Amino acid sequence: MGSAMRFSPSLAALMSAAAALVPDAHAQSTTAAETDARVSYRFNDYSEDAFSGAAIGDRDRYRVLSQQFQLATPVGADAALSVSATHEVMSGSSPWYVLADLQQRPLQVMSGATIQEHRNELRASWTQGTGSAGGTTYSASYSKERDYRALAAGIERSQPLGAAVTLGYGGSFSHDAIDPFEAAKYNRIDHASKNTASVFGSIAWIIDRSTVLQAGLQLNNEHGYLSDPYKLASVGHDVVADARPGRRDAVAALLRYRRAFAGPDAALHLDYRYAQDSWGVVSHTLEAAWYQTLPAHWEFVPALRYYSQQQARFYAPFYADIGDHNFVSSDYRLGTFGAVALSVNVRKRIGQWEFSGGVERYHAATGYAIGGADAPVPGVVSYTRAFIGLDYLLR
Amino acid sequence: MTTAPGRHAIHSYRFNAMGCPCELQLDAEAADAARAAAAAQAEVDRLDRKYSHYRDDSLVARIGAAADAGHAVEVDAETADLLDFAATLHAQSNGRFDVTAGALTKLWDLRASRVPDADALATALARTGWQRVEWRRPRLRLTLPGMRLDLGGVVKEYAADRAAQCCREAGVGHGVVDLGGDIAVVGAHRDGAPWLAGIKAPHDTGRAIAMIELLHGGLATSGDYERVMIVDGRRYSHIIDPVTGHPVESFASVSVVADSCLVAGAASTMGMLLGVDAGDEWLRGLGLPYLCVDAAGRTRGTLLR
Repeated sequence: MGSAMRFSPSLAALMSAAAALVPDAHAQSTTAAETDARVSYRFNDYSEDAFSGAAIGDRDRYRVLSQQFQLATPVGADAALSVSATHEVMSGSSPWYVLADLQQRPLQVMSGATIQEHRNELRASWTQGTGSAGGTTYSASYSKERDYRALAAGIERSQPLGAAVTLGYGGSFSHDAIDPFEAAKYNRIDHASKNTASVFGSIAWIIDRSTVLQAGLQLNNEHGYLSDPYKLASVGHDVVADARPGRRDAVAALLRYRRAFAGPDAALHLDYRYAQDSWGVVSHTLEAAWYQTLPAHWEFVPALRYYSQQQARFYAPFYADIGDHNFVSSDYRLGTFGAVALSVNVRKRIGQWEFSGGVERYHAATGYAIGGADAPVPGVVSYTRAFIGLDYLLR
Repeated sequence: MTTAPGRHAIHSYRFNAMGCPCELQLDAEAADAARAAAAAQAEVDRLDRKYSHYRDDSLVARIGAAADAGHAVEVDAETADLLDFAATLHAQSNGRFDVTAGALTKLWDLRASRVPDADALATALARTGWQRVEWRRPRLRLTLPGMRLDLGGVVKEYAADRAAQCCREAGVGHGVVDLGGDIAVVGAHRDGAPWLAGIKAPHDTGRAIAMIELLHGGLATSGDYERVMIVDGRRYSHIIDPVTGHPVESFASVSVVADSCLVAGAASTMGMLLGVDAGDEWLRGLGLPYLCVDAAGRTRGTLLR
């Protein structure tokens, strides 16, 4: 019972008489239900496979080492705060543009290896209200690297619509600014920016005590400079700057299924996401994860993910002539490809310490796409990601 | 984006105690849940043995035997607290809630399926009434031979609260205890989500007429469809009015949510005892969320928004 409840004299009498028998049950259960405060550290190693096809330049691709500190804590009985700081170090080369060889086969040209780049990010969120009355989360983040800054803010609300149905909705906005390196030397734009706005809504149904189904819809709008200033495209014998439309609208639908199994003390998570945008990119993501709790506070989570996307209308590895192409991009991320990812995460709690670690292998290929390969995507990338983490629970 | 229970499995334990099916649902690791469930079930069994009016070896039977012999009994602290609570209920209900109605409830024993005759009823009624008790903590004396205690209106609810407390003491902070519809929350799900409790529709015990979200505290339901006897087509509820000596004609059920199952149970029983109109009014004045369902399935109360 919240403090807003009024106590009639009869109720006060009943409760004081019951107090000797059930001392402070409310206070104890509330304490038990609260989440512990937690301090976390994560070290992440993201490493792209070296380029294996026909290429000019350095074949070693991106490697990103990141460290993150996070503090998450309840504030009073009805709010929670989370603050995190991330530092990333990036190195390696990336696909620059694609040439056609004499047989009109793609030949990937890599950028020169970058010197080490650093990115710092600060993120904070505040959740007001929890439990049956619903809650609102306000979040903000700021990220900065030498040539890029991003400022974002969001709000989302979770609101029970009855005993078994919860409505979630929210929106976010971000402003990104880029000042490319060596703009004059490479004839790059010297300053550009973009704005991204996003809204979403979802409904979660508690089907029974071990099953939850959630369906959601997200709308996303980007406008401004959406091209990649570090990428070029071959058009005939020319190499021109990557040029994409100044606006991109996307819609995504998602379905999440959660099912707990008491016997093996485990839970199955099944997620599907469909996305489509105004550039013609259509993608499907299907993920299955098994959360297995084991004795002595071990948790073991194997997961399998499949991803498939169809290319943007203006994507090509290279263009024969300028023709009426207003837009050109040979960015592998806009091509047709598919990927399979397998990951295993483990977690072990010892007293107030929690150790975690995991490894993910992501393998992408044009032939994995639903419907098979389309235009060649020589830059398609596979990677391995690993992390270790240490959490301390404050009680 | 929203709370999504299902990350962890919920362990369920079913057993029979206090004459009804019981269930524990614990959101915890298997070993912790098993340990907590064993402690909780042992506690319910202990209270069943101690306060059952069906068992010859219970404390209630010993108090009855002492009454027949004209003696007082010195009771332990737990029983004394229960009797103090009962005394409060008696005062708050103008004598409707009376734990000395043991002779009456025995007469209306639902296991017997018979309506008692008028003489027997008059005799039992004469042996009922908290005002006929000498209660000076820790000494209790029932002043008339044949007087009997019936703590049925409080013990099951108290046992639900105690079982929840045993789970917390065993290190399990997330779960719910259900003793035949009397519910005590150990603590919300591990992700903070509430437990859902269904209030059964009258005479159709498989269907829920309302779903209640519980984060803490308890939910208790008093009603004639949980335990009822039908004699010659007439339904008799298990709630006996100690003033008239007859089963109450009231709502089909009254459900109340409170900080403890004990208080919820006392309030729901009181709502039943006071009858349809007075019960509704009293519950509204009490200020706890409640739901009354009448024999036709119509509802009133503040639990339905």
